[in-house]
Amino acid sequence: MDFVLLSQYVISGLVIGALYSLMALGITFIYSIMKMINWSMGEFYMIGSYVQYALIASFLGPRRWWIALPIAMGVVFLLGLGVQRWLLRPMFVGAVERRDEYATIVTIAMMLFFRNLAIVLGGPNQYAPGDYARPKMIGTLPISGNRFVALVATFVLLAAFYLVVTRTWIGRALRGAAQNRVAIQTAGIDVLRLDMLAFGVGVALAAAAGALLAPDFLVYPENGAISTFKGFEIIVIGGLGSILGSIVGGLLLGVIEALGSVFLSAAYKDLYGFLLLILLLVFRPTGLFGESERTA
Amino acid sequence: MKRALHLSIVVTVVIAGLAGTALAQKPVKIGVLTPLSPPGDAAAGQFIVRGAKMGAEDVNARGGVLGGRKVELVIEDDSGTPEKGAAGIRKLATQDQVAGVIGQFHSSVMLAVQDLAEQFKIPVFSTQASARSITERHLNYTFRTHVIDPDRVQLWNRWITERGFKRVFLLAENTDYGTGLVEETKKYFKSMGLKAELDTAIFDRTSVDLTPQLLKIKSWKPDVLLNGAVGTPVYLMVKQAYDVGLFPATPMLVSYDVPVRPEFWKTVGDKGTWLSFIIYYHPAMRLPARGEAFRKKYMEQFKEEPVYSAFNGYTQIVLLADAINAAKSEKGEELVKALTSNKFEGWNGTITFPRGEGPYWQQWTPPMLITQYTKPEQPFAEVKIVYPPEFKTGEWMPAPSR
Repeated sequence: MDFVLLSQYVISGLVIGALYSLMALGITFIYSIMKMINWSMGEFYMIGSYVQYALIASFLGPRRWWIALPIAMGVVFLLGLGVQRWLLRPMFVGAVERRDEYATIVTIAMMLFFRNLAIVLGGPNQYAPGDYARPKMIGTLPISGNRFVALVATFVLLAAFYLVVTRTWIGRALRGAAQNRVAIQTAGIDVLRLDMLAFGVGVALAAAAGALLAPDFLVYPENGAISTFKGFEIIVIGGLGSILGSIVGGLLLGVIEALGSVFLSAAYKDLYGFLLLILLLVFRPTGLFGESERTA
Repeated sequence: MKRALHLSIVVTVVIAGLAGTALAQKPVKIGVLTPLSPPGDAAAGQFIVRGAKMGAEDVNARGGVLGGRKVELVIEDDSGTPEKGAAGIRKLATQDQVAGVIGQFHSSVMLAVQDLAEQFKIPVFSTQASARSITERHLNYTFRTHVIDPDRVQLWNRWITERGFKRVFLLAENTDYGTGLVEETKKYFKSMGLKAELDTAIFDRTSVDLTPQLLKIKSWKPDVLLNGAVGTPVYLMVKQAYDVGLFPATPMLVSYDVPVRPEFWKTVGDKGTWLSFIIYYHPAMRLPARGEAFRKKYMEQFKEEPVYSAFNGYTQIVLLADAINAAKSEKGEELVKALTSNKFEGWNGTITFPRGEGPYWQQWTPPMLITQYTKPEQPFAEVKIVYPPEFKTGEWMPAPSR
């Protein structure tokens, strides 16, 4: 086996894995705080990609992607706040008896709604903003400028997220909410506001992934489906609720898919991740970095 | 008493008259079952619907069918998935009671739909589904006015021979269309005695990252890459092959006419330059009256050149209406008899549905040409036909090195 080629496969797997992990981070973050799975995560990814495309195609041009990115994230963050405030809050104020079922139904309904809204507003065609940057080399791998930008921006966002969660007051409150939602209220923290913030940030991370990957993975109504699917796979591999698990799980999934698709068959690319997932569920059901939930 | 009797006679006559008028005016419904949302090739579906609507307008403007009844379209989205296609044709047959169904684009969907069409006894038309097995099954109610994969494969094999390519790679999606292309290409490479070496791979249609596969293909050093995808993966393959440095240094041939759509340049940008692709219609073609009238009207209405999907959608509605008139009935059995025993005027000439051997069963095949983009944002009308030699308007060109 040619070493250069093997290294190219591994690097391409790591790159795509890092990008997947941004999506997984949003899912796991929302789960950590709100203890619910957001099934419409891919649609927030999709909305992020549409906003990014609209801004770049209409006003900014591809080289100003870095202005469009925070705007796309901001729009989706505000949308997330609204969704949490008006659709999901009833779960936490005693208005809903079956919380898990309610969350599942509401988020699946949103998935269908946003997907069809995109078809109505944007048509079923695909779009792509122009290239964010010129092609680059990462080690031995020739890579598009878009993917390079997406990778760098992903690391910046992950670092910023880590710093906020570990070094700030709000981060401490969020970690507290993740550990015990009741206990932090005794410290005077409004947990419902934290929920809004967590949901907004979580979906904004998905929007960032959509906006960053728009030139390479295109903009169309169902473009978020595959990312959601990978995101859920990653959080089970990495461990539900673990930020480190999201990153390591993403990298691992990316590399396994890349190697499986070239050494076995590209027709079953999705299968390789699932095999890993099944193995983990058998031998380490909590995932790589997950912990067993303690209940009173 | 006598007055009451007169009144009741008058009322009966009026009711009978009204009922008769209502019956005479009841429209004949035709189903358009086509992909209008992903994962299907929704853009193709839109063009088919455009053509079908214009076909219905045309038929109605000429007085409708069966002595004045209007043609009414019932449009259903199959999303490019067999399960939605099956649900769609059930609804069209049982609830809407359509006379026939057109619009089938994806081979996997058509293969599911045609069995149900046989059960419901309604003619179903493949508008752009090209798998060999669709017509090879010799089903009574299946018709096609589109190319079949053996012909497509033979065309690209002849082109490969003409160009002198020695190493050919076919990357196809995991659908009936993609796997069919792989099988047909392998088969015809042998039977046509091609000297070139062939390698193939099948990828998951839902996959958005083809980078590892394209890196592997690049290391194999092919002289040409055949793009056997449909819809979004076509664009992904073009862009990602460019990004890893495979295309345009290695020429790429797309298996169908997706690059002629207005969305093409918006999606792939300059990366689409030097792409070769198969088409079935070129604006330089001299069309018969029906095709030329459609083209003119389409350009007036949409301010763009029509694409083949629209031509074919239009043709199938018009010929189905002609068949209804010829049969003097909208019943499936009668329509099949009319379709197989009459000649119809299509967008590009006379259409017949002979019951030929193998896949040439109730099949009419349009022309197939290979073209190439040589400039960024090149309008479709300016594209040169590079193969076959008898239709050539320009030479195929390798891309200059980047």
